[in-house]
Amino acid sequence: MKISNIFKPFKTVGKFLVEKPLTFHFPPESPVFTERFRGRHIYHPELCIECKLCGIVCPNNAIDFLFEKDEKGLVHFRTQVDYAKCCFCGLCEDVCPTKALEMTNFPFLVAMDKKELYYSWKKLSEKPSLTLPSIKERKGLIPWARARSFWIVNYFTGCCFIEAVPWVASSFDMERFGLLATASPRHSDVLLIGGYVTPKTLKRIIRIYSQMPKPKFVLVLGNCPMTGGTYWDSYNTIKELDKYIPVDLWIAGCPPRVENVGYAIFLAIWAVQHGYTGKEEYVNTEHGKYALPYVVPKINKDYNIVEFGPQHPASGNFNILLKLKGERVVEATPNVGYLHRGFEKLMEYRTWCQNIMIVQRVCVLDGASYELAYVGAVEKIAGLEVPERAKYLRVIQAELSRIQSHLLNLGLLAASAGFDTITRITWGDRDKILYPLEYMTRGRVYQIYNIPGGVRYDIPLDFVDKAFEVIKYMEKRLKIYDDLLFNNQVFIDRTKNIGKLPKEMAIELDVTGPNMRASGIDFDVRRNVPYEAYKDVDFKVQVLQDGDVYSRALCRRREIEESLHIIKQAIGKLPKGPIAERKMSRGGYFSFMSSIPTGEAIHCVESARGELCFHIVSTGGVKPYRVKIRGPTFDTILVALPKLLKGVQVADVPVIYWSLDNCPADHDR
Amino acid sequence: MEIEDLLKYLVEHFNAKISIEKDRNFVLARVDKYSYVNVAEFLFKEGFRRLLTVSAIDWLSRNVIEIYFITYNHVMNVYVKVSTEIPRDFPEIPSLSSMWENAAMHEREVWELFGVSFIGNKMLKPLFLENWKGPPPFRKGFDWREYVVKEYGLKYPPVPKTVYQ
Ligand code: SF4
Ligand code: SF4
Ligand code: SF4
Repeated sequence: MKISNIFKPFKTVGKFLVEKPLTFHFPPESPVFTERFRGRHIYHPELCIECKLCGIVCPNNAIDFLFEKDEKGLVHFRTQVDYAKCCFCGLCEDVCPTKALEMTNFPFLVAMDKKELYYSWKKLSEKPSLTLPSIKERKGLIPWARARSFWIVNYFTGCCFIEAVPWVASSFDMERFGLLATASPRHSDVLLIGGYVTPKTLKRIIRIYSQMPKPKFVLVLGNCPMTGGTYWDSYNTIKELDKYIPVDLWIAGCPPRVENVGYAIFLAIWAVQHGYTGKEEYVNTEHGKYALPYVVPKINKDYNIVEFGPQHPASGNFNILLKLKGERVVEATPNVGYLHRGFEKLMEYRTWCQNIMIVQRVCVLDGASYELAYVGAVEKIAGLEVPERAKYLRVIQAELSRIQSHLLNLGLLAASAGFDTITRITWGDRDKILYPLEYMTRGRVYQIYNIPGGVRYDIPLDFVDKAFEVIKYMEKRLKIYDDLLFNNQVFIDRTKNIGKLPKEMAIELDVTGPNMRASGIDFDVRRNVPYEAYKDVDFKVQVLQDGDVYSRALCRRREIEESLHIIKQAIGKLPKGPIAERKMSRGGYFSFMSSIPTGEAIHCVESARGELCFHIVSTGGVKPYRVKIRGPTFDTILVALPKLLKGVQVADVPVIYWSLDNCPADHDR
Repeated sequence: MEIEDLLKYLVEHFNAKISIEKDRNFVLARVDKYSYVNVAEFLFKEGFRRLLTVSAIDWLSRNVIEIYFITYNHVMNVYVKVSTEIPRDFPEIPSLSSMWENAAMHEREVWELFGVSFIGNKMLKPLFLENWKGPPPFRKGFDWREYVVKEYGLKYPPVPKTVYQ
């Protein structure tokens, strides 16, 4: 034990007191989002040639055409967009031959009635603008108190929740408006539904809703619970949540941008301050189909059964059944499927091109890797040669995405070990990384940047400066993480020699990524089977020997540094030239509706959580015949985690769990 | 063993049909269903310690289900996909769980989603779905778009529609 490991963290925190705060003003004084973000459309009817291409390409059926006659008696088909369905992929903008449909960076789309989110062509052709309600005025003391102390149930239902994360972090900080995330439904006023809801999740949501005291408010993020959204044809997601419980506010987007979530919070505060007490309560379980049975736990003097998750601050939408003897875990059984959408078959229903806007949604925490694995496999089947420039751009995107994913995980791990301050800091810094990522790809969480054959957009001229600014910032911050976390004696004691994953076990149970490298195995797909431009950049594969929670965390922290190093090199070496190739060596051109030749391919990439492989089979059609996604967390969580948990203290369960960096959406698919 | 020897062995002893990707280290091998487990055993002994996945493809037109597994060898740095075909109406194949421990979980997924049973796998029970009563959902004959209209009352059709005032 080093004495400095005890005092250094205090000293570093002390320094924060005199530094400029990281928190953004809200409502924003100046736009905090970049001008390239893909937000609401703007429609120019005078340019539209009514070709209907936008409607054909739209994967979510969000576009309709209004048939009408103008004053001269001429017949027109006008484009209209339903924001209760649109996922902001920008495919419609890409195919529009006359630029009649363009995307602005306007993210604010919130409504109490979801029909209001249907934008007629007239509304769509107006320039978007926003007036935030003032939350200063109030009516009465009780409504004011109620509005300024929203307690939100902690239940991370789906991928939209990722945009609620910055509100917990130092960057947006919801606590300044009195909002607090809480674990107990019995003490909460607000149920925040973050995205798609599977029948298995719906049962839990209904149970939670019925346990909340009155008045209760239900806020819904994303399009999936509104209309089915991106998963409108999935067999295992429900399409309209308001059939089952009342919904007060619909927040549109896929996921809704963090500022849009803020806008919704403001509207909610405003409404409640003016006396709004929520919609009339009802619960529809469809004759018990979506009702959870009430089970009286059996008392057993030898052991207790405890459920960890799915509604738990440290589980994600994932459940593990713990059999405890005293404080020790005797047996752990994962129970998954809360986020199962049937992704592999969903992709069989979409064209090769439409799949690029859905594939990253497998795992919201590191979408870029899923894009790369998918396009890599398609390129192999089609025989598409990716231009050098695109290869480098893909590396930059993938590494930025890896950094933000590792930062998120460090925050989660720190929170589950009781270090909330670190969580606020790393998640706040994650927002800084998302900034260049968005500036480059036009998407913040789901970038939808790659197409088979290359990338969709080139980088703006000043991207390099902005990226270097952030890289420099991050390099400084890593030192702070060392002081606060990695050289902090409490954290060391809390994580060393806990959850040890032996080397042999890691190989045999197919644990990959940082979890495997922390157990002393020198394997990284980027180096062993290089793809894109990884063979031209220089980086060290970070290998540690102990295989405990601390090593896994440290491995991620070092990988962040390595990723920064890779990005610097990739920017420096960025070749000139085209960014996409459309000619397929096996004949024909790749386009929005084209078919690709018969064949099959496996493509593996190193995602933030480990090795991710896509196996794709084409029978020569416009859609894949079969897609198999081999995610990095399936074996780690379903097979290795129960073994690691055997015999540990129950308080270590969340720590071990997050040290493996789970993404429940990945193993459920 | 070198890759070339390995492939030669697979062809000679198991009558495998092999195709290799040009620059990356992927081998696709097709064998008949009687050799499936033997090939797995052979590869396991040859140092293929990691099993990436076990999965299936439903070939409706030929009335067969293709079962395959992908495994990786650290020393040779090569991935091998071994596949075989079993009848669609009688989908049964021996389990790989006696070699790779994680195979049982992957097979459980295939059992649930494709309705294939694995002889010797003790874990075959629902994984993702609670009280699912329909057919195996990933089989080709089960049309999701019909199902969601019926089950969830989805209103809009999968084509852009024209609306009239
Ligand atoms: S952005 Fe995508 S989902 Fe939205 S209307 Fe355009 S094509 Fe459809
Ligand atoms: S693609 Fe463009 S031009 Fe064609 S109908 Fe749509 S908005 Fe009009
Ligand atoms: S697909 Fe989009 S709208 Fe649906 S849950 Fe995920 S982020 Fe939200």
